[in-house]
Amino acid sequence: MPATVPLVEINARMPWARPAPNIFWFDGKLRVYFSAQDKPAPLAIVIAGTGGDGNTTSLSTLRGALYGAGYHVLTLPSPTFPGFIVSASSTGVAGDLMQDGQDLYAAIQRIVAHLPGKVQITDIDVLGYSLGGANAGIVKSIDANEHKLHIHRAVMIEPPVSLFDSVARMDKLFALSIGSGDAGVERLYQKIYAQLANLYRASDRVEIDTNFLLSAAAAVLTTDAEFSAAIALIFRIDLMNVFFAGDLYAKTGVVVDPKHPPKVGEPMERIERVLRGKPFSEYFTKVFAPYYLKHRAHSTTESLIAANRLDIIGDALRNDPDYYVQTNSDDLILDTSELAWLESTLGSKIVVYDHGGHLGNLGDRQQIADMLDMLAGRWHGAAQ
Amino acid sequence: MRIVPVVVAFALTLGGCASQEFVVHQLPPETPAADNAAAITRAEALANDKQEAKSEQQSGGEQAPPLTSADAPSMRTYDPWERFNRFNYRFNARFDEAVFLPVSNGYRRLPPRIRSGVHNFFGNLSEIGSIINYTLQGRLRRGVRSLGRFAINSTIGIGGLFDVATKIHWANAPTGFGTTLSKWGMHPGPYLVIPILGPSTLREGIGLLGDYGAPYGVNIANLYRGDQSWGLGVADAVDTRANSKFRYYSSGSPFEYDDIRFLYVRKLLLEDEGLHKKDPRKRPPPDVPAGQ
Repeated sequence: MPATVPLVEINARMPWARPAPNIFWFDGKLRVYFSAQDKPAPLAIVIAGTGGDGNTTSLSTLRGALYGAGYHVLTLPSPTFPGFIVSASSTGVAGDLMQDGQDLYAAIQRIVAHLPGKVQITDIDVLGYSLGGANAGIVKSIDANEHKLHIHRAVMIEPPVSLFDSVARMDKLFALSIGSGDAGVERLYQKIYAQLANLYRASDRVEIDTNFLLSAAAAVLTTDAEFSAAIALIFRIDLMNVFFAGDLYAKTGVVVDPKHPPKVGEPMERIERVLRGKPFSEYFTKVFAPYYLKHRAHSTTESLIAANRLDIIGDALRNDPDYYVQTNSDDLILDTSELAWLESTLGSKIVVYDHGGHLGNLGDRQQIADMLDMLAGRWHGAAQ
Repeated sequence: MRIVPVVVAFALTLGGCASQEFVVHQLPPETPAADNAAAITRAEALANDKQEAKSEQQSGGEQAPPLTSADAPSMRTYDPWERFNRFNYRFNARFDEAVFLPVSNGYRRLPPRIRSGVHNFFGNLSEIGSIINYTLQGRLRRGVRSLGRFAINSTIGIGGLFDVATKIHWANAPTGFGTTLSKWGMHPGPYLVIPILGPSTLREGIGLLGDYGAPYGVNIANLYRGDQSWGLGVADAVDTRANSKFRYYSSGSPFEYDDIRFLYVRKLLLEDEGLHKKDPRKRPPPDVPAGQ
């Protein structure tokens, strides 16, 4: 890890974006982060996971490693991040792999063309973790047709194979570990609050700082069931914004009255509580599918689900030597058949670690070393 | 007030505004290696806390019984002034974007040694408030420690520019009037977003008035009279902002106001739990919004 990494924040307006709805007044520009080398270098573009902004802790970890290895680093939010949905999505209804990929591809072109300072780029690679991993693969495949960026390699870190199946698995985990509805969330909150209070009483601290609170909140989760519940809850909270924005843009009226959408300054607690209790599968059935069935000729519910599997770039993943995947055999968002599909499709271009869950090993020495080997074309299979 | 045009000019020159389409902010460099080391230290401290919590619970002693889920406050937060607060939150976000952030980003470009000097200087001045408040809270040992820190840093630390006390393991532990009011039994009260300053509650807001009033009343070295008192206030505010990573609407979410309100008040209530660990207060019924 390098001692320091320079960082600038770029707020860019995308010409195709529609005016930001009143309630999203602060999301008019796409916010991305850039670290420049002071010499000619390859550019690594990194895409965040589900719901993540352009500067998540995971992105910061990857930025440190990539910058230390000599890359210029550009980090982007997930297309499911509300700031992206409002400032750069051409539909406002996030979660469609190809549509999100097109929006990302357009945004990346615009940003790369306007990078501040005199940046000399020798090559372009794209990476992403979780959903961002799938996005990275799609972006490279779009570029392979359009040749506007000449993206060289893609490293997909722990991607889902089917977005909607992964989400359904998370919904199930939520129902199992927390219970359905908002009452389960309340029970989990009460438990964490009581344990945090006991921990804090025992410590000699006077003020609670955010770092303490975050690591303590993780430390009080002791059983597997509590961990599962917390993961399911974090996922649910990430996706509430997607649900809300999609419902607002598609005018589907699930939580947002299309005639009277909430305005800035109005209480939002009721909507938040309703969304917290809703499984994400409802986003698919009540917002996503109605919107895309209307806007995409000859589509069916089945075709929409099929279009959101990595199979759509299966040939490229199989035949192009420049796609790589890193994943874990105990990753929550994959089932055994999906993992087997990844292994058979990628062949020697995949590494499967035994442990790590979902993103638990992101930033580990081995994961970083393998990722850098893949990016540099030094990777010759897991059993090297 | 002469400082104001200077600050505005500073903001405009250092803000780094390119065009309306592309706005670039220079951020402080990240420090992955140091962050890594800090995370390890934090994890060790936490493990230690957990161990202590366990042994205290086992030994019982004079401690109040540990909290259970039933003791947690409601998930709803007492916010009778919500529309006013939401207006202020939005105003603060705009003010931050237009004035506070450009100025503090410019300030961050000063050499680290100068910035840490400024930060230590204000930290040292705040020890006066801590001494008064620890005394009012009846926590005299901590008060004496703050007094010791103030004495050491003002002398050997050259007017507070160097935090020598921390180096000899007298760690900084500031406290304020809000905490004193809590110690005296006052509940947080309604949630309150204060213009420019941000999230608070009625109790903490009153506390802040005390925190600003105390140094003015003590007026050490005649710093708080005349023109330089304004400059001091602005520099203190810029230093505080530059040391915080918070960005308005970085969540991108329309629920950010609600989420910040939830977290802020829970954090305050957790601090209250620590403050009253020997004399736990009567808990309001679970359907009463938190803070009321």
